[in-house]
Formats: sequence, structure tokens, C-alpha cells
Amino acid sequence: MVSLKAIKGWSNDVEKFPTILMMPINILLNLIALFPLFILVYASITDWSPSTGSWFRAHIIWGGNLVRLAGDGILHMAVLRTALIVVVATGLEFLFGLILALLFVEEFRGKRILVSIFLLPMMVIPAVSGYMFFMMFQGAGPINKIFSLLTGVRIETAWLTIPNTALFATMLMDIWQWTPFMFLILLSGLLALPPDPLNAARVLGASELTIFRRLTLPMLKRIIMIALILRSIEAFKLMDGIYIMTQGGPGYSTQTISMWFYEAGFKYLDYGYVSMIAMVTWVCLGLISWFAIKPLRGG
Amino acid sequence: MASIRRILKFVVIALALLPSLFPIYWMVMTAFKPHDEWVTKEAILFTTRPTYENFLILFNPEATSYVSFTAIRTSIYHALYNSLILSIGGTILALVVGTLAAYAMSRFRAGGDVMPQLILMFRMMPPIAAMIPITIMYSAFRWVDTHQGLIVTYGLFNLPFVVWLMKSFFDDVPREVDEAAFVDGWSYWGTFTRVVLPLTYTGLAVTGLFIYILTWSDFLVVLLLTNVRADTIPIFLANYSTAYGELYGPLAATGTFAIIPPVVIGLAIQRYLVRGFTFGAIKR
Repeated sequence: MVSLKAIKGWSNDVEKFPTILMMPINILLNLIALFPLFILVYASITDWSPSTGSWFRAHIIWGGNLVRLAGDGILHMAVLRTALIVVVATGLEFLFGLILALLFVEEFRGKRILVSIFLLPMMVIPAVSGYMFFMMFQGAGPINKIFSLLTGVRIETAWLTIPNTALFATMLMDIWQWTPFMFLILLSGLLALPPDPLNAARVLGASELTIFRRLTLPMLKRIIMIALILRSIEAFKLMDGIYIMTQGGPGYSTQTISMWFYEAGFKYLDYGYVSMIAMVTWVCLGLISWFAIKPLRGG
Repeated sequence: MASIRRILKFVVIALALLPSLFPIYWMVMTAFKPHDEWVTKEAILFTTRPTYENFLILFNPEATSYVSFTAIRTSIYHALYNSLILSIGGTILALVVGTLAAYAMSRFRAGGDVMPQLILMFRMMPPIAAMIPITIMYSAFRWVDTHQGLIVTYGLFNLPFVVWLMKSFFDDVPREVDEAAFVDGWSYWGTFTRVVLPLTYTGLAVTGLFIYILTWSDFLVVLLLTNVRADTIPIFLANYSTAYGELYGPLAATGTFAIIPPVVIGLAIQRYLVRGFTFGAIKR
């Protein structure tokens, strides 16, 4: 127990001050995160399923779940598909977000309202976007209708019944919904840049493109990296909208890793196996992010 | 030259507006369509027979004509109340705890390299796998289906966002600002709350908006940690997926209605989205 005397003067002590700032997060992590993590690690070496009893009564099968993982083709495809969605969607969101953010740095009339409008897609509940995109991509949906009106050719493709176009449609939903995230983060990063070096370069006659490449982009590097990392993690967990839109179909052609977790966990109640896959993906993502973040450390 | 650039800029903005607004237009339009226009052989882009019944069913299902073919009797009030409490509570918890930690990490390198990485990893855990053990623990404290259990879970799951974004915004404030504050006789706490934190209001506002949206629209955590008492709007939506098929009108109406709180917060933070908001403060 820390006595009151010991924390007196905490606000002027270089040792105590950060410790006190970190205290709430440490309490939260130790209280809520440690025990579940322990259960998860334990469950991953058992064949636990809630239909057969409690987690501590399950049989320990050690690496049995890993052997199953090696032969699970549906899971392998879901992982690859998720990786594809993460790379394509995050990449395009970044590109569109950056272009938009650059257009909104300077003040102009109507800027506030336009920024609010561009943020709207992010504010729609993903489950609702799932229903709307499901309707939009039907054979008799509005997308086909608009393209038919524009081209004069009657288009009746049922997008969600063809594996490739279904995957494309789900990516479009993610890009539509989350480009505003990239836009807002990059915009706030751009707005926080010190104006002096940029103005100095302008006075010296540097072109806008040079300023962007040599000054703006390097100064934004940190926030770009963080935005990409956070968005990739979220894209990796893409679930509710896409589940409503396609249910992973046709076949398994739009099943992502999160949907796989949902089905394995709640349809088949395969908790032991789910825990093992969760641990494996968690460790892999942790390693990837550790190296991705490396340039941000010690800087 | 300058005017060509201006025109080009507005052309790009206009082109970006179309795809960005169309799904929202479709949602709002569907919300006003009578039920024979939801699913048609030929898509109806603009309804000539607008109805407010889809909104009425959210608040008073007994008064709508849907009562004749569905069994929906629950109104949205309970879910709305829960959604507001949980999203505001979870956002505030994550913002306070995360901002304190982010400052300690940015200025004192608290936790070294490992702590930020560990915190980021909380966001990487597949939520379904994480919820299984959390449910076990919460049932021991009788926290399943309670506000406090969900607020703490949201706080924990949103921490990575707050810590990483706020740390980067703190890192961007020059150290000279802190040093000047010490010279003026501020304590560490005073420097943090009165000098450095106000310089990051842009970042704080943006971060707050994001985690509010993530919590407001969350489906999985609340699905797994509630039974009846703490259900939220995304869970409430399932009411409209009935044995008679999806009720697209009420679904779209709920979506349209649920967009209001984030929009209000989004408008409220606009005043922090101005260039030089932070650097003007330094000169003072």
C-alpha cells in the first residue's frame, strides 16, 4: 500500500510522475486482461467445447489443435482472402484519404460542411451498411439500374452470387466505410504541421510537388504509419457488415478470418480450436506489427 | 493558374462526393419507402409515396401497419439508452486512461518499447476469441449483461487507439514547450494539463470521435456480453430480420436515426479541425 506521504510531491518527481500516469492503464490491463489471456492459452491446448462441460474439465490434447490447423484448407483460404482484403482496402483507403485530406488543408467557404459530409460513411452502423450494400448489389438493385441508365445497356449482374464480384463488393463496402478514417487522421496530421518550414519553402520558390515530397510527406510519416497500422488491424477483423452482406458466400468465397471465428465459435462451439487459432494469429500479427512499427521506435 | 487549380479541386471533391453519398442516399430513401417498394423487380431510385411508418415503428410499433404481419412489439428506447450510456462511458474511460499513459510514454518513455506494442496487441486479438474467456471471468463477478462490464471492456478494447494516436500527437509537440513551462515554474502535472494537452486538442477530438463511433456501432462485444438488459442499437437491429424476411424500411430507418449522435459529435469537433489551432496557442 502506497502511503500518502510517499506520493506527496509526485507532480515534481521525475520517477513518480510517469508511474502515476501509467497506474490506471496498468490496473485495467492486469485486472481485466491477464486472467482471460491465461484461460485462452490454457484452452488452446484442450479440446474444450461448452457442449461437453467447463473449460477446466476439458481434455488436454497439447498440440492437437495445431495439427488440425495444418490441415484446415477452409481456414487457410480465409487467411489469404483476409490478407488480400487488408492490403487492397487499406491501400486504397490511404490513397483516397490522402488526396481528400490534401484538398481540405486550406480554408475555403463550405469546408466545415463538406468535411462533415465526407465523414458520414464512417458513422453508419456497419450492420446497416451491410444491409444497404446487400440491397445495392442485387441483380435488380440501384447500382445496376444507374449503370443501365448511363450506358443504355441493360445490366442485371447479381454481384453477390459470383465469387469474384462478391469479394469486390465487400472490399468496396470497406473502402466506402473507412476512407473517412484515413481522411480525418491524415487531415488532423496535416493541420498540426508547423506552417513555417512550408511557407519558407514556398517563398524560396519550391514547387508544391517538391514541398509535398520533401517536407510534408516526411513530417507526416509517423501519423501515416500509425493510421495504416490501426486501419489494417481493423480491416483484419472485418466482420459484421460483410457477414450480413454475403454470409461468407457464395460458397466460402467471401469468408474472412473473423467470420471463420464466428462460425467455429458459435455454430460449432469449437472453443479449444478457436483459442488455438486465436493465439496463432495473435502471435503472427504481433510479430508483423513489431517489425512494421520498428521505424517509429527510438525516433 | 490559381483559378484552374481551384476548379480542379472542386471537380475532384464533387467526384468523390457521389460514391461517398450514394449508399447514404439509398439508406435514407429506403427509410422513407413503403414496404412494397423495398424489394422490387426494378430498383426504385426515388420514391413517390414517402411514408414515415418506418420511423414510427422504432418508437411505437403498435401504431404501424406492420403490426398485422410481424410480431415486433419492442421500441428502440431501451436500446438507445444503453447505446448512449455504453458509448459515452467507454469513450471517456478509454480517453482518460489512454491519454495519461500516452503522455507518460511520449515524455518519459514509460513502459519502454514493449508496453506500446503490448497495448496495440489488444486490438489484434480476434474479438470472438477474446470474448470467450472474458465472459467466463465476468460471470464470476456477475458482470455479464451489466453496464460496468461493457464499459470496462470497451475501455480496454479502445485503449490501443487512444494510446497510439495520442502518443503520436504528443510526440509532435516540441520538447521546448515543456522546457519553457518548467522554467516558468509549472509542475509536471501542470505542464501536462495546462500547456501540452491544450496543444493536442485536434488530436484528442479526432481520437474521441473515432472511438465513440467504434463503440456506438459495435456489434460483437455487446452480442457476446449481454442477454437482455444491456442490448444496444446494433443488437436491436436484429428485431427487423424477421421470419417474414428482412424489414429493410425499419432497418434503414434505424440506421438513419442512429447516425445522429456521431454526426452531432462530428460537428462539435469541427472547430478543432483548423490549421494553426495548435500553433496559434504556442505563440500566446
